Amino acid sequence: MEASSEPPLDAKSDVTNQLVDFQWKLGMAVSSDTCRSLKYPYVAVMLKVADHSGQVKTKCFEMTIPQFQNFYRQFKEIAAVIETV
Amino acid sequence: MAAGELEGGKPLSWLLNALAQDTFHGYPGITEELLRSQLYPEVPPEEFRPFLAKMRGILKSIASADMDFNQLEAFLTAQTKKQGGITSDQAAVISKFWKSHKTKIRESLMNQSRWNSGLRGLSWRVDGKSQSRHSAQIHTPVAIIELELGKYGQESEFLCLEFDEVKVNQILKTLSEVEESISTLISQPN
Repeated sequence: MEASSEPPLDAKSDVTNQLVDFQWKLGMAVSSDTCRSLKYPYVAVMLKVADHSGQVKTKCFEMTIPQFQNFYRQFKEIAAVIETV
Repeated sequence: MAAGELEGGKPLSWLLNALAQDTFHGYPGITEELLRSQLYPEVPPEEFRPFLAKMRGILKSIASADMDFNQLEAFLTAQTKKQGGITSDQAAVISKFWKSHKTKIRESLMNQSRWNSGLRGLSWRVDGKSQSRHSAQIHTPVAIIELELGKYGQESEFLCLEFDEVKVNQILKTLSEVEESISTLISQPN
């Protein structure tokens, strides 16, 4: 199996994982000990990923709304490109 | 009493900036003595200390309540009327400072309160994979996506994921559900 020629993305991780599951929730941070009036919505994501050996790991992260919109926009771009390849 | 030297103006503006760097943006090494010697060298330490505490307290109160400009004016006016409060010159400097730094401070407070990893970056490419060993040419494009994740104050971790076209579309569908939720949330009155 041949891979493609020299890629523009030079991935910093050596291992590529398969996405097994994508869970999300939309939360609202209301208040904290350092800030009584936080009031910001965020998207929390929990990914289940499997490496080449089949071992499954969980990765969690959060995005602000603008970050999520950028994330969504990038996926739409990926979909558009992958369709044409 | 070195009250004159503790008036508003440039030193106070710089002091507020330094306090914000220390309190909100996590900038290391900003000590009381550093601030006094650099900004208020004529003020003795025992006078500077309560002054610094007062300014820090005011800044923290304003940031914690995420004051809008009406609340800010009311708050600062009350501070000028208090015993041992602030002068109206100082109030003006603080007001100006908050107006120009509010967004950045708020962003830092948001980052500090997020204990999960945040998404720091996303890069991707699409490969056209070809399989030709003992079967007919199969062309299955693959998207390689690299997520840069990191907790507040910690180094980034990189997660590399591989998606075929089917998977990309599945994710896209999920993301559209998220967006719908966001729209619903935003359209609801507070």
